[in-house]
Amino acid sequence: MPVPTIADPGPSVAPGGSKPPAQPSQKSMTKAERRELQEKQRAAKLAQKQQPAGSMAPKNKPPTTPKKAAFGETGGVKHHGLVPKDVHANAVADDKTSGKPISRGLQIFSHFGLPKPIGHTVKGDIHPEIIRLGLLFSEFKICGANARAIATLTTFKKVIHEYTTPAHNTLSRHLMTHLSPQITHLVSARPMSVTMGNAIRQLKLDISAVDIDMVEADAKTHLNHQIDNYIRDRIILAGEVITGLAGKKIKDGDVILTYARSSIVEKVLLHAREMGKRFSVIVVDSPPLLEGKILLKNLTSAGIPCTYALLPAISSLLTEASTVFIGAHSIFSNGAVYSRAGTALVAMMAKGHGVAVVVCCETYKFSEGVMVDGFGKNELAPSRVTRSTGDAKAVSPALNLETLNPLYDLTPPTFITAVVTEVGLIPPSSVSSIPLALGRTL
Amino acid sequence: METVTIRPPNVPLRDTISSKFDIYAAYQRILKNEEISTPLAAILALTELIENSDAGTMFELVKALNDGAAELRGRTTNPISLNAGCELFIAFVTLSTHNSTTFSSLKQELVRQGQNYAAEALTYRKKIAELAVGFIKDGSVILTHSYSRVVMQTLLLAHERKRISVFVTEARPRGLGIKTAEALTAAGVPSTVILDSAVAYVMEKVDFVLVGSEAVVESGGLINAVGSSQIAIIARAANKPFYALAESCKFHRLFPLSQYDLPTHNSNILSFSRPSQSKLSMPVTTPAVEFPKPIKELTDNELLNGSHKITQEQISKNNPDVDYTRPDLISLVFSDVGSLTPEGVSQYLVGMFSGSE
Repeated sequence: MPVPTIADPGPSVAPGGSKPPAQPSQKSMTKAERRELQEKQRAAKLAQKQQPAGSMAPKNKPPTTPKKAAFGETGGVKHHGLVPKDVHANAVADDKTSGKPISRGLQIFSHFGLPKPIGHTVKGDIHPEIIRLGLLFSEFKICGANARAIATLTTFKKVIHEYTTPAHNTLSRHLMTHLSPQITHLVSARPMSVTMGNAIRQLKLDISAVDIDMVEADAKTHLNHQIDNYIRDRIILAGEVITGLAGKKIKDGDVILTYARSSIVEKVLLHAREMGKRFSVIVVDSPPLLEGKILLKNLTSAGIPCTYALLPAISSLLTEASTVFIGAHSIFSNGAVYSRAGTALVAMMAKGHGVAVVVCCETYKFSEGVMVDGFGKNELAPSRVTRSTGDAKAVSPALNLETLNPLYDLTPPTFITAVVTEVGLIPPSSVSSIPLALGRTL
Repeated sequence: METVTIRPPNVPLRDTISSKFDIYAAYQRILKNEEISTPLAAILALTELIENSDAGTMFELVKALNDGAAELRGRTTNPISLNAGCELFIAFVTLSTHNSTTFSSLKQELVRQGQNYAAEALTYRKKIAELAVGFIKDGSVILTHSYSRVVMQTLLLAHERKRISVFVTEARPRGLGIKTAEALTAAGVPSTVILDSAVAYVMEKVDFVLVGSEAVVESGGLINAVGSSQIAIIARAANKPFYALAESCKFHRLFPLSQYDLPTHNSNILSFSRPSQSKLSMPVTTPAVEFPKPIKELTDNELLNGSHKITQEQISKNNPDVDYTRPDLISLVFSDVGSLTPEGVSQYLVGMFSGSE
């Protein structure tokens, strides 16, 4: 599985926090000191108890809280945990007041990543950039597989930059325990994409390969370079090679059909246009996300003649198409393509009409697992996202009505003619032989 | 292989090729040898180019090789299998590690390796024949298409050990099937030439189909003399195995999405004949596509007119030489690296050209 093992965030709480330094010192304290501390704690507890018992006014009085957070151990931590929970509760309330209770999800789809409320709790020591990224993910502001991988890696660069190895630890051993809660936080915002999984696994490998004797600053620069190289080689340059290869398959007079919006397919089409190819594009789209609209806007502004249609119109449009180009979230070892929900339908129809289906996909999106249907793993589109992009008149769920918006589906390899990767065009059956050819050992 | 430099005075040469050496002439000369197939001839021609090149660096040498390959490609009508050879050799020169002390010794080494490979490749047909014979049962009725050296060798070997009879298609427009039938009859193999249009008729009597190949492509599909694809489709419909024979030097990094995606396809192929004086003009439906006039727009007069008589040359000029057989129609590909399924072929090709084997 592409999902990296996630260490329990518990033990790694805050290297610079107030709790850890206090704990070890307790043993080395004298009896008198210990008694003093106990006294202090008792006083703190008493103060806390009195607070709720008292009138409402003192509770809202601000000065007491920072003081406690700074001094009291138990009180401080407790309070820390309370604040986000309040936010969480507010968010839930918010969602409720805006007309929709949070989807319970259907029982048989309960294993899909259920949409999470926006203000999810912040556990442990999470870097502010990660919190920001988590919000961007959960809000679908950063949505595509490539965009998410790049955003994750760039943010990790900042996290690594601001990281200092605690005493009696080595970077190669400790950094990952520092990153694990950050990853957990991102996953809690939105289930991890395969691309992120692959990128993080590579990062872990790089971290563990850092020489123990290396100076910390050097090690951090090294990791920084490794991340930059990964983004450049596996994502950016791979995309450029694919653009060139796929562009060769577009000929003058072709009608290209594409579904939803894939960043790489968009690049392929724009590049082919730049090369002076004369072709037209049919953009097929589907609610709830209607991502094809953005593609349509970008293509038409580049002067490519386009047709925009929704998924039900596909059978009448396919007779016009010469090639179908689709992007992918991931490709599994058996050649099955995991992509935006609706892709399987487009590919199946294209196969039925004898139209070639070409998948554009960088090799870093390849996943070693095997998937046979779209039910084993999927993700549900949160209602707030579908509401903002979809039409307002969408059916509002009632007690006996649940909306189900899976984000992805699985296209079986039989419907795919070719996969364009940076190592060339390959049939889906050869996908499994690619990672080995690239020298990957995992 | 002895090296003779031919200097034809009248052939215009590309400026990038050193003026001493004409690769196309060398290629043609090598090809005169009946045993040598096009990819091998291309490899040998490139080794001669190395011998004659005055390149002093690897960069220059690779450029010279690429230019030579481009020259060969430009001057032949069907560059597919030739390309496979060029690609293989250039990949060998650029990708594999060579440890020679001087550049001239490296060049010698490359020439030697190329010639060794060609010599070794000549034994591949025997190897393939041995592999394929295992799949031929006593009393088999085999359908083959056009003329292929490796198929001939296989059939003759099978004839030595088993009783076989062969149907061979005429394979228009070149009619090479007749050559196959003649050679088989001379060797005492019962054979019959059938029309290309009689394949479906004969398929029921056939045990399996055996064809050679121009190139085996990355999808696991096959590029071969035109007509192979329809034979494969009929064989599939009749549930008969369709076997292809190919030396590994014919494995080609090419991924045709359809018949029209082949490098040999051009706008002349299958173009509709255009009557010279027509008052009707077609409305252009899509800006990019130019639809030729449909045949029904020809007036009756024009059709009856003697000037519109169609000759065989016209037909063959208007038709493709090769076609692409989809991988899902092929049962097995016998090659010197083993009996491969189409998926196996593509995996082998991907491994071969991504640098690790």
